[in-house]
Order: sequence, then structure tokens, then C-alpha cells
Amino acid sequence: MTIILYDFELSGNCYKLRLLMSILGVRYDIIPVDFYPGRQHKSDWFLKLNPLGQLPVLVDDGLVLRDSGAILAYLARKYDPSGLWFPTEPAQLSEVLQWHAFADDITATASAARLALGMFYDFDLPKVQAGAHRLFRLMDEHLWFGEREGRDWLCAAPHPTTADIACFPYVMLSEEGGISRMDYPAIRRWTDRVRRIPGFMVMSGIFPAGRAAAE
Amino acid sequence: MTLSTTDTTWYPVASSTDLPLRHVFHGQLLGRELAIWRADDGNVNVWENRCLHRGVRLSIGINEGGELKCQYHGWRYANRSAGCTYIPAHPADAPARRITNTTYPVVEAFGLVWSANNGAGEFAPFADAEAGDWFALRPVPVNAPADAVIEALEQFAFAPADDDFRAETVAERLPGLGIRMTARSVKGSSSAVFFVQPVDAGRSVIRGLLEGTPEDAIERLHDHNATLTALRDRLERAAARKPAPEPLTPSFEKVSVELSTMPEITIGSALTLRAVVKRKWATAAGITAFELAALDGNHLPTFQPGAHIDVHLPNGLSRQYSITNGPGELLSYTIGVKRDLASKGGSEALIDSVREGDVLAISEPRNNFPLRRDTIRTVLIAGGIGITPILSMARFLAKSNLPYELHYIVRSQDQIAFRDQIDALGANVTLHIGLPRAAIAETISKTLGAHSFAQHVYICGPGSLLETVRSTAADLGWPDEAVHYEYFRNDRVIDDSSAFEVELARSAMTLHIPSGKTILEVMREAGLQVSSSCEQGACGTCLTGVMEGTPDHQDVYLNASEKRANNCIMTCVSRSLTPRLVLDI
Amino acid sequence: MTTPSPIDAVTRDLWQVIAAVDETPVGVVSTTLLLDQRLAFSRDSEGNPVVWLRTNEEHGDEIDLATVTARLPVIIGYGYIWTSFGNPPDHLFPIPEYAESDRVNMSCGSIGVGSSAPRIVENFLDMGHFPYVHTDILGAEPHTEVKEYDVEVSEERDEVLATRCRFFQPRAALSATEGIEVEYIYRVPHPFCSVLYKSCPEDVSRQDVIAIFLQPMTAETTRAHLLQSMIDSTSTITDLRRFQQTIFGQDKPILENQYPKRLPLDPRAETPIRADKSAIAYRRWLSQKGITYGTIPMAS
Repeated sequence: MTIILYDFELSGNCYKLRLLMSILGVRYDIIPVDFYPGRQHKSDWFLKLNPLGQLPVLVDDGLVLRDSGAILAYLARKYDPSGLWFPTEPAQLSEVLQWHAFADDITATASAARLALGMFYDFDLPKVQAGAHRLFRLMDEHLWFGEREGRDWLCAAPHPTTADIACFPYVMLSEEGGISRMDYPAIRRWTDRVRRIPGFMVMSGIFPAGRAAAE
Repeated sequence: MTLSTTDTTWYPVASSTDLPLRHVFHGQLLGRELAIWRADDGNVNVWENRCLHRGVRLSIGINEGGELKCQYHGWRYANRSAGCTYIPAHPADAPARRITNTTYPVVEAFGLVWSANNGAGEFAPFADAEAGDWFALRPVPVNAPADAVIEALEQFAFAPADDDFRAETVAERLPGLGIRMTARSVKGSSSAVFFVQPVDAGRSVIRGLLEGTPEDAIERLHDHNATLTALRDRLERAAARKPAPEPLTPSFEKVSVELSTMPEITIGSALTLRAVVKRKWATAAGITAFELAALDGNHLPTFQPGAHIDVHLPNGLSRQYSITNGPGELLSYTIGVKRDLASKGGSEALIDSVREGDVLAISEPRNNFPLRRDTIRTVLIAGGIGITPILSMARFLAKSNLPYELHYIVRSQDQIAFRDQIDALGANVTLHIGLPRAAIAETISKTLGAHSFAQHVYICGPGSLLETVRSTAADLGWPDEAVHYEYFRNDRVIDDSSAFEVELARSAMTLHIPSGKTILEVMREAGLQVSSSCEQGACGTCLTGVMEGTPDHQDVYLNASEKRANNCIMTCVSRSLTPRLVLDI
Repeated sequence: MTTPSPIDAVTRDLWQVIAAVDETPVGVVSTTLLLDQRLAFSRDSEGNPVVWLRTNEEHGDEIDLATVTARLPVIIGYGYIWTSFGNPPDHLFPIPEYAESDRVNMSCGSIGVGSSAPRIVENFLDMGHFPYVHTDILGAEPHTEVKEYDVEVSEERDEVLATRCRFFQPRAALSATEGIEVEYIYRVPHPFCSVLYKSCPEDVSRQDVIAIFLQPMTAETTRAHLLQSMIDSTSTITDLRRFQQTIFGQDKPILENQYPKRLPLDPRAETPIRADKSAIAYRRWLSQKGITYGTIPMAS
């Protein structure tokens, strides 16, 4: 029984799954997909796996899954015995899903800007950049007040959840889309905290944080 | 109002709470980007956001607590001075001491971090600042020019404490793009100040301080945040209707000619500075510690682990002492002085006649004992007073989380110097107390073990211990390059009977060196400016390149393989085996 | 939009890379930016590339290539289409290995980078960053030393050449006491291109070739085109592309956080060390050639 991740190294959505599996200590195999320049995600063999032609796809013991947010939920429910990463208590569950949706908005803006500048995708760059800034402003405010209220993570729970994993990559890669994070100091501190989660791993474009101060 | 990159006004650039430990804040003032970070000792650094090496932003680097590490090549810069302490591409060399990033003045006050361009006057707090208890609001970045923001704030006078009651609010301009708002009503009065940080021509940050900490703090923060974001949205709509102003273009300072030419290793000149004895105490039997601080309370020059200073003594003598400090500790240097009856009176003069509050002349730190940080295993061995440079090394390695072990050999318990610092290093330290002389070699042998890749040993202590470690290490197969030591004194008898010619290649000059005189002396007589320090072949200051001829090495500074290479010489003691020696000077 | 930078005479006469041949479909018009000017390019029915200045009148991708008269010079080299605004030389710089029949040659995608072409070349020549930027792939702390190597500017070939470049790469874990020293040769045969030769694991007598061809879109933005020419009988093209993209993806945030974005040619602008010998030679070479596009020339 093995988990297979259809993966593109430079994809933040694929990285979300690598990151959570690394934190949870889940073993998996990678099948590289040449997203760029090969456009293999639009090839016939890949469309059979995911008719939407999108990465990532994860296959667990024959079960084929798509959508990074949905797969995060799946991995957390199945492989996190603590149950903390994807809570089931209704209010908490809803909160996590809100941020999963927020993460999709980040993908539609910050990731689009990155694809426009880095891989010459035909997006309206000023529009998606402005969209990302609007989201980052909300997120920075949320995290700044979180610090005042003793909350370190996106959700109210006193530990990180898949909400943090879902939002982290394209926030961290935003500069490749020409979106500076200088105006979002609370986001920058949160990215330090995410990068210090035990089991954290990097992807190309993301450097590790240094060690935290000794308590 | 036009912003200028040379404006020297003090502006707030961050909130205190923006700077947790081990974080680097990304800021900007008047177009110039800043890397702002708090060291573990609480000090806030405001630096130009640019590594001097290749211009990479330091805000993507790593705050290691006492040093900032650049993400590109791992260069380390010290807390306070921004001096470079380590260049990983050349781990065996001490970097030129003057590789120093641009720093800016900084004051942390009223919950804000303030900075200004260099050349600014003393920080002057706004009127009545000192009397108040200030509560920092959430800073609000605005994509609008600073003058538009300050005008809007002035017109937008609002009651700082409570929006519900009908208060009459007065807005009063403060120097440095500030506004004070005071509201008076039947219920009393409340006050707040707002400063506009001019980030760039078209970008600003509003930083507000409420007078007094409100009881319903979080609610107040939310209220003010809502008010300021509404103001921000209005300002940005107005700004978007106008053409965006050209961003400011701050110029980058050039590095010195000395640094722009390779190689970067320089033996420092003997610049002296004055230091006050802040504290003097007995740290072990026969060892007195001195803590030396700059007279003006500023930080001292950057040092690297293993560095020493020359202390010029009241009796005219000069002695060298290692700095025991850890990374980024630049407010004072702590040295240890052993009462040495055999010396010419250097230590006696310090211990007996120098008191707390006295002022001493010291040299800038020099490093003849550089510490590599590219090792899998570092063994530090100190005997007695030799703990001083070793302690500094251990503290650097500990802070960077590099594997090391410290073996401290003393005759008795009461001879353990800097006990609290030693204890703080925890399990990495092994104390060897009262080890019989005969057992030392065996202990060293067991400690070192066979040599393997990327292992290095550093020894400081009496000559006999050095010899024991060197010969033991050699027997165990440790190569010369892996065995590091520092002599403070050359105990060898110098043979100055030879006579020979010295040709100075760059000065186009040939000198005759008669017996009884050193190369150094003859060069000075000929009018050359040559730096030196110990003048007994121990400190390395007079190191000179040899282009032709075979030196007669009599120093204890160079190791055996360096001596065999015959490409450099200590002109203060060494001579020539060939009739002619050509020096690169 | 920033104002276009003046194009120096040397840059104007160079061959400039614009796209991989395989990624340029026949009959479809693509556009790109070169030296601040908008270009259109395509391949005709015989597969030959056609490049012209994009004018404002053209709309859409439907254009009869036969009607394009004001064509720019074109050459195909190393799987890429090259063009020029001036009088380019007869040939591109040589990479003889490319023609060896048992090599796997491939493009690795054209990646946009927010930095100048010379900054990217300089980073390509640099070994000191391996442990910090390509951690556990091309190097790892604590093994950070850049050993002495040789640099020359070959007058005959008009290129910068760095030889005997060695860097320690740990085999597996950080704690590994054994590692291998990988040997590299770097060439800079064109102001905006560099070629790297690296010991080949499969055949010790030969070397893998990795090249970077940079298309200066503006003085401060670049399209980086990567070429691999490998002796590798086991990996797939997807594997090999993934490796190269992983490496380049790690360099990208460094390059985009470097400023000024143009490469300063004044030696006093930054602080070189011995390990930077090749970068210094490259900066001097650019300076002597009179390359101002993408650089901050020395104040005269």
C-alpha cells in the first residue's frame, strides 16, 4: 500500500501535500509531471486521472484524489492520529474550510501573478496582484489581532491546522509574482512559525527559518 | 512637501512588538530598505537591507541571536556593529574587520522603534512623551504620499479614547510628520499621537500611540484599526486618481578601496581606542577579569572568536589578551588576566594598579586564531588562562548550534575562570581538574581519537600543553591544518647571528640586514611603515610575503606546513637561510 | 512601465535567444520582449523560425507569415531560436558536446526572473552559495569552503573560463563523513550565456553540460532558458527537467532579492572575496567590452 503523488516541484499546490505528509511522517512516492514546459497535465494519460487537468493528484491504495485542499483534509483525517490538523468539531471544521477557500483565492491571485511572471501565463497581472494584496491585508490584520489574543495560527485552535498549510505556499512565493510582503509584518512572523513546525520541509523558492530562541 | 533621501528627521519604522526574537523585520524609510532585527540581548538593529557582498536583502536572512546570517552565502554580521565575523567560503581565514554593513541610528521608545538617516541629531521625543504611558496601535500601511496622509489625519481629528461621547478634538502638528490629538469633554480628556512614516514617495505607514493603556485594549485596537483603515481607503482612492510619484532612489555607499580588492585578508593596523574598566573581579585563583567598555557607551569594534586586543599598560608596556565574549556582545570586552610573576610586569601592573573606572588604551581586536565553522567536530582544549579565547569560540559554536566539545584543564577547582559562562555551556564542557602531568597526554589522546574528515582541534594554554597536544595529534594522524593554536609568547631562543640582503619588491629597495638586527628594525630605519605588535614572532602582525629565497623561521606563529611552504615570514624574528630574500612589501 | 534602456552597440550585434524550437508550434504566433522591444515569432510550414518586430496594428495569432517582410535575422542553436537587432556574427559560440550522438539534449523551460541577465550569469558562476541555496543537493553546511580555482579570459575565444573548480557534496546525510568533490568548468562565451561542465556519474571520462541562455527582456527582467546535454541512460526527460528546475527555482528568490538589479561593474560597489574570482573576471570582461545593458557601468 503506497501513496503516489503526481507532482510538479515548482507547484505550491503540490507542495502543500508534500509539506503535510512530511510533518505527519507519511511515506509516499512521487511521479513527476512535466507541467512546464511539457504541459503533461493536459495530456491524455493525465486527464484520465484528473479530467480537470490540474495538479496535484494523489493516489492512496487505488483511491484517486484531486484538489489540494480536499487531499489535505483526507491526509489529515486518515494519517494524523491526534486529529488536530483537521478537526471535526463543527465550528472548528467550518473555520478550517473557510481558510481552505481563502487559500484558493490566494491561488487565484498570488499564484496567477507568479505564473504570469515566471512562466508567461496570460493573466491580467495588475489585477491579480491587487487581488493578492487585498487578501494579504485581511490576513495580516487577522494574524496581528491573533498575536494580541494569544493565537498563533489562522484558526482559533492552539495548534496549526491544514488551514495554515493551505495558505502558506503561495503567500511565501508571492514575491515571484511581484507581490512584496513588506507591508504585512504579521504575515511574515506567521511564516516564521509555519517554517518552525517540526517536520517542515522546503520547496524551491522557500528557504527554512532559523531556529527559534531557546525558551 | 517633497521627501528627500537625505532627510535626517527621526521617524518610527516599526513597533516594538514587530520584533520578536529570531525574526528579521523588513522595513523601509525614505526609499531605503531596512533589515530590522532584535538580538537575544534585546538590542534592536536597523541596517541597510543589503548584504555588502552581493547585495542580497538581509531581511530574507536568519537572525541567529547574536549574528545575522545572509541567506546567499552565509556571511555573519555581528549584533550592534554589523561587522562581518565569518565568511564560510573561506572558513580558515578571519574576514577583514572592516567589512561592515551600513547601520542607522536606532532608539526604542514608547512601544515604537525609531530611526533616521546617518547624520541625524540626538533623538528628541515629542513633547510630554516621557511623562506618558503609551500604548501602540496597529500600524496601518497606506499607498499614498506622506504629506497627503498627514493632512488627512489632521483634518480627520477624532477622539482617541472613546468615539461615543461628543468630545471636542484638537489636532496639533508635531515635528517629524506627527499629529497630537487631544479630546476634551465633560467626561475628561484623552490624547493620542500619530506619526507618518515616509516609506517611499507614494507609500506611508500610520503609527499611532494612545496615551494610557485602555482597559478594553483589544476592543480599542479594533476600533482604531477600523477608523484608520477607513481613512486609508479614502486616501488610496484619492492617490489612485493622481499619477504615482516616482519612487525615491537612495544611493548605495561604496565600499572602501581596501575591501574592493582581493584578497580580503588583512592584518589590522594598530588603531587604538580608549576603554573604561567597567568591572574588575577575581574570576579564579590568580586570575582577574576585566570588563572594558567604550567611553561613550557605544559598542566596541567587531571581533571574531579567537581575537585578542593589545592593552597598553600604565607602565608603558603592552600586553595581548583574548576576548572571551560570545557573538554580538559588543557593549564591552571581557578579558582574563593571570598574575604572572615571570612576566616583565604587565599582568602585575593591570591587576595591582588598574581599578574600576580607570581608562585604558586598547587596540582594535585582531585575530590570529580564527575559528572555522565548517566542521563536523570541533575539539577545544584550554589549559588554565588559555580558556579565554577558547571560551569565546565555544560561545560562538553554541549559538550557531555547531557540534563541539570543550576540555578545560586546571590544577584545582578554584582555578576555573568564568565559571558561570562555562556552566552555561552545559554538557559540551568536560572539566579535567588536577590531572597529573603524566596523565595529560593519555587524556588528550583519548579525547582526540583518530582524525577523520572535517575535524579540527583548537588549543590554548601553556607551552607544554601545546606541545603535548601537537605531538599527540600528529601521532594520531591529525594533519597540521586541523590543529590550531595560538602562542602569546615565543619561548625559543632567537638566533640573530646571520647577515643577509633583503630586497623589497614593491618598494624597489635593497637592505642589508647585519647580525644582531631584525628585518623589521632595518626596514623601519629605512623609513618604511611596517606594523608589528609582539615583536617576538608570536602574534602574526608583521607577516610578510616571501617571493624568493628561503626564510630561517624562528617564530611560533606559522605552523610546520606553512613554514615548509616558505612563502611568508615574520620579519620581527625570522631571518634568511639564503644570501638574499625577496619580500612582497 | 519603465522607460527602455539604451542598447549598447555590442549587445545590439549579439545573437539573443528568444525561445526553444520545440516549444514554438508551427503556424502559431507568439510574442515576447527582447531588449525592451516587443517581438513576434513563429515557425513557417517548413518549421523554420520567423521573427519580426511586433507592431501595434497586428491583432491575434492569425497572420500569414508570407506577408511578414521586415524579418529579423534568425539562427537555430542548441535547440533554441536566436535573433538580433544588429549585425550578428556568422555563428553562435560553440558547444561541441551538443552534437555528440549519445547525449540527451533538452530544454528545461523558459523561466521569467526579476533580475538582470548579468546578475543571473554571475550567480550561475558562483559556488559559494551551494550549501545555503541548494541545500543537500549541490552542497550542505558545514562544508562551505570554496577552494582555489583558475580563471582566465581567453582572448582567442573571447570568453571567460574558470577551471579546476571543486566543491564538496555530501553523499547523503549531514553527518556523512564521506563525500565527493565534484569538479566543474565554467565558460562564459557570450555576455548573457554561460556553460557549465560537470563530472558525469555515468562515465568518468566525460562531462555533463548544463547551459543557461539569458534573454534580457528589459535591463531588469530576464527570460532564462536552460539547456541540459547529458550522458544519462536511465533518467527520463521529465526527471532531468525536474532536477534543473528545482535548482533554478532555488536561485530565483535570491536573484529577485538582490539589488541593485543591474550588475554593478564598479569594483567598489560590492565586496568581492577570493571565491569570487570568476565573477570579477566576468565583470571586467563586460566592462572592457562596453556592455551597458543590464549593468551599472563604471563612472568614467
